Amino acid sequence: MSTNDTSHIRNFSIVAHIDHGKSTISDRILELTHTVEERDMEAQLLDTMDIERERGITIKSNAVRVMYDADDGQTYQFNLIDTPGHVDFTYEVSRSLAACEGAVLVVDATQGVEAQTVSNANLAMNANLDIVPAINKIDLPSAHPDEVKEEIEEDLAIPADDAVCVSGKTGEGIHDLLEAIVFLVSPPRGSYDAPLKALILDSYFDEYRGVVATVRVFDGHVAKGDQLLMMQGGTDFLVDGVGVRRPAEQPVDELGVGEVGYVVTGLKDPEAVRVGDTLTYRDRPCDEVLPGYREAKPMVYTGLFPVDNKDYENLRDALEKLRVNDPSLTWTPETSVALGFGFRVGFLGLLHMEVVKERLEREFGLSLIATSPSVDYHVYQTDGQMVCVRSPQDLPDVTRIERIEEPFLKAKVIVPPEFTGAVMQLAIEHRGITQDMVYLSEKSVEMHFDIPLAELILDFFDQLKSRTKGYASLDYDFSDYRPSDLVKLDILLSGDEVDALSFIVHRDKAYALARGLCDKLKEIIPRQQFEVPIQGAIGNKIIARSTVKAVRKDVLAKCYGGDISRKRKLLEKQKEGKKRMKQIGSVEVPQEAFLAVLKVDDQ
Amino acid sequence: MSAEGQRGAAPGVGALYLHVPFCARKCAYCDFASWATPTGDPLMGSYSRALEAQLDEVAGMGLLEGCETAYVGGGTPTLLGADRLGSLVERVARLAAPSELTCEANPDSLTDDVLDAARAAGATRLSVGVQSLDDGELAELGRLHDAACARERVRAAVASGLDVSVDLMCATPGQTDASWASTLAGALSLGVGHVSVYPLQIEEGTALGELWRHEDPAWNDGDVQASRMKQAQAVLEGSGLVRYEVASYAAAGRQCRHNIAYWTGVTYLGLGTGASSMLNLKQYLRLSQACPSLPEPPSSAARVRLTVETTRAEVAADPRIAALSFSTEFLSHREAVAEDLMLAMRMTSGVGPGLLARARETVPAGRLEAAVGEAVATGLAAWSGGRLVPTECGWLLGNELYGLMWDLAADDA
Repeated sequence: MSTNDTSHIRNFSIVAHIDHGKSTISDRILELTHTVEERDMEAQLLDTMDIERERGITIKSNAVRVMYDADDGQTYQFNLIDTPGHVDFTYEVSRSLAACEGAVLVVDATQGVEAQTVSNANLAMNANLDIVPAINKIDLPSAHPDEVKEEIEEDLAIPADDAVCVSGKTGEGIHDLLEAIVFLVSPPRGSYDAPLKALILDSYFDEYRGVVATVRVFDGHVAKGDQLLMMQGGTDFLVDGVGVRRPAEQPVDELGVGEVGYVVTGLKDPEAVRVGDTLTYRDRPCDEVLPGYREAKPMVYTGLFPVDNKDYENLRDALEKLRVNDPSLTWTPETSVALGFGFRVGFLGLLHMEVVKERLEREFGLSLIATSPSVDYHVYQTDGQMVCVRSPQDLPDVTRIERIEEPFLKAKVIVPPEFTGAVMQLAIEHRGITQDMVYLSEKSVEMHFDIPLAELILDFFDQLKSRTKGYASLDYDFSDYRPSDLVKLDILLSGDEVDALSFIVHRDKAYALARGLCDKLKEIIPRQQFEVPIQGAIGNKIIARSTVKAVRKDVLAKCYGGDISRKRKLLEKQKEGKKRMKQIGSVEVPQEAFLAVLKVDDQ
Repeated sequence: MSAEGQRGAAPGVGALYLHVPFCARKCAYCDFASWATPTGDPLMGSYSRALEAQLDEVAGMGLLEGCETAYVGGGTPTLLGADRLGSLVERVARLAAPSELTCEANPDSLTDDVLDAARAAGATRLSVGVQSLDDGELAELGRLHDAACARERVRAAVASGLDVSVDLMCATPGQTDASWASTLAGALSLGVGHVSVYPLQIEEGTALGELWRHEDPAWNDGDVQASRMKQAQAVLEGSGLVRYEVASYAAAGRQCRHNIAYWTGVTYLGLGTGASSMLNLKQYLRLSQACPSLPEPPSSAARVRLTVETTRAEVAADPRIAALSFSTEFLSHREAVAEDLMLAMRMTSGVGPGLLARARETVPAGRLEAAVGEAVATGLAAWSGGRLVPTECGWLLGNELYGLMWDLAADDA
């Protein structure tokens, strides 16, 4: 399309609260536009990672081109940019939205507007996108689309007369939705002949082709053989090919103004391509860089250690490869007496941590130990210096600490009124300070708390969901640093402190946590040939203890002719099990012990 | 070398096992190849006749030449009844002429007729599945007999002049230290010369396994198993029996030589559904000639394990060895040595100089010394008169000790 005419292009995202059905709507669109034949349909096509499909969540953005034959007889090019739904991945949403002119805002017809509906709608409106409201799941008996329309108008201030009622499950209304996109979403603007100005939305590393970047062209055009420059990174390269995803990659001659597609950079250094950077011609650059994204800041830090120390370099390489399409990932080397060499890795949240750990293990064949999550503490020392501490091991000696400040969040919970008491109780248990409560409607109350990040990252979200029968939604923003009475809780196995099990905790909760941890570790650590005392300590003071009793008997007594092979196989299985454990001193500790703090039952 | 040459050169197996996969009822803990079978089921007759035919065939191949011991196990061989069991035992005695011939028996089907028939046919030894002498415990286990029946039948067996052993089971539902003590004492009072004691193992696919799928019952806890096994040792040794294997106690000269064969690398042939064999390469090649479906052994093979996968009905329908299907497992010299070391550590006599010398030839020196060193350092084994023998701790933590030995089978990271 070597022309300035972009009137047939529509670039849009689909945004929604988690579970409101964004991915199924995407799938129906692919089906209806014959991008993917029905028989090839796998549920949630756009979620390509195993983990995404297993968990039913979208983690990575994904851009797909579909061609739509509209009722007006014209064929439109739709670039559909899928976005993540979990609170941990908000930054991916903002990045995707910057590449669009429009957004389909999906709202569940049974649940109505939820916390992330509001935050995503706000993101979309701040990005000046044309919004197409879609009310999903109208096939359900409990659907109440008219009330949801009112909520959209009242809570989001978005006109809902044009809201399209759809069912991602049955496909009902999807055609109307596509028509609405044609009419409501503006075509992209820009100049075909101007110097290239393209935004890098995402990238991944391909062993043979190097870094492949997903881009949105705002001005100009790009084709194989173009010499390009990354304006912020400063790297230049020769384009090895361009194409679009439908959703399988399909090479094209060029990506014109307004279009979305991929650029094969041939660059072998994953670090050279930064998501958010602007691509332009090396010899004819555009005059300004596109506005960058809100940079994703890690909230949670955990140690990641290879079970086998020989894998340290492999872990570093793997992290670097993941970073190519997950720029929020940051790390610094960390050394543990117990676990050897590893990295302290920053994550957006615990889900992000789990996903990254799982990807490292599955995609790179690593066996990893993750240690207890920590936040970024500000430790003011008696010498007047302030140090940032992200790992309990880095906490200075107690005599050198004047005070410790911890990050607080402003948390917003939207919940039906009958659960406000339960939520308040939960907040108190997590050192939260209730600020106010606003009735959004008869059926929903918005509650505001100040709450320490450290409390929120553990089990707050799961607890919130369980105590409100899944009704509550949570959103949060960083507030400020506040002084807290924090102590380092150490865990000793057979009398030796295991640094990787230490944890920074509020003094008031230290005793209960120490007891909980000792009990949980007793369950997790298998019985060994000798007794293993487990102790929780603050400084030199032991505040909790438990004991893993020595195993006294471990044998299949019967062993005749037919049992011998079976016996050997059992021994081999036993050995495999041991390989997954970490030898600490003389104690064999399973990987999950290091995350025991996440499993301590909340009394 | 011709087949004739092989036949002349190699003796047959050292031990013979026949499997009778019939029981009156499946016990709650049992995961053996055995199925509840109604009395009068014609399958029992056709199956035992098929075993006899197979015995004829393997004897014809020379595989029973030099056979020292035989064992008719199950299942419940006594369920076959006097005529069929007698006929089967007689065939074994005639073709293999073992100096020890054991029949497994359950008290409820060990009638006087069966007892007489087995003895008359050539059985020398009887192993009775008593398990407990507490009626409540027996009911929990799903056994068909009660304590009175067990006592009476074992007495009858002892009186018949056969060498009698009883199996007892500990860490079972409802068992207490006191009831276990009384079972042990009761068994000894019957005049048996051999006792085997096992902790109950909850296996997948059994009634108990279903019941205790998600938690481990307190009555089967490792500590309970350990203390009951120690209790058994004290009582049995106190009455003059000697422990010769982790679970086996015998009066002088009354050890089960057939079981010792399993633990000392003697070759054995197993016939019947689910039965296992351990053959040397020559014996395996000889069997292959009769059973062409057996795979070619790899060049590294020194020892072969086979298990009959053919069902009871199939065995009965076509008794030819050629019609059998086996699963096979080939072990190298080094694996065979590691297996012998692993099994030797079950025995009081442990690993002697002969096996040690074999191990030094096949296992890298550093590995062998390290494993032995670790076993001694952790108190699982000790040196005694030039032999490496298991300690009490090694017996209780057998899997640790056996694991150390089996690890010698291969080099790995």
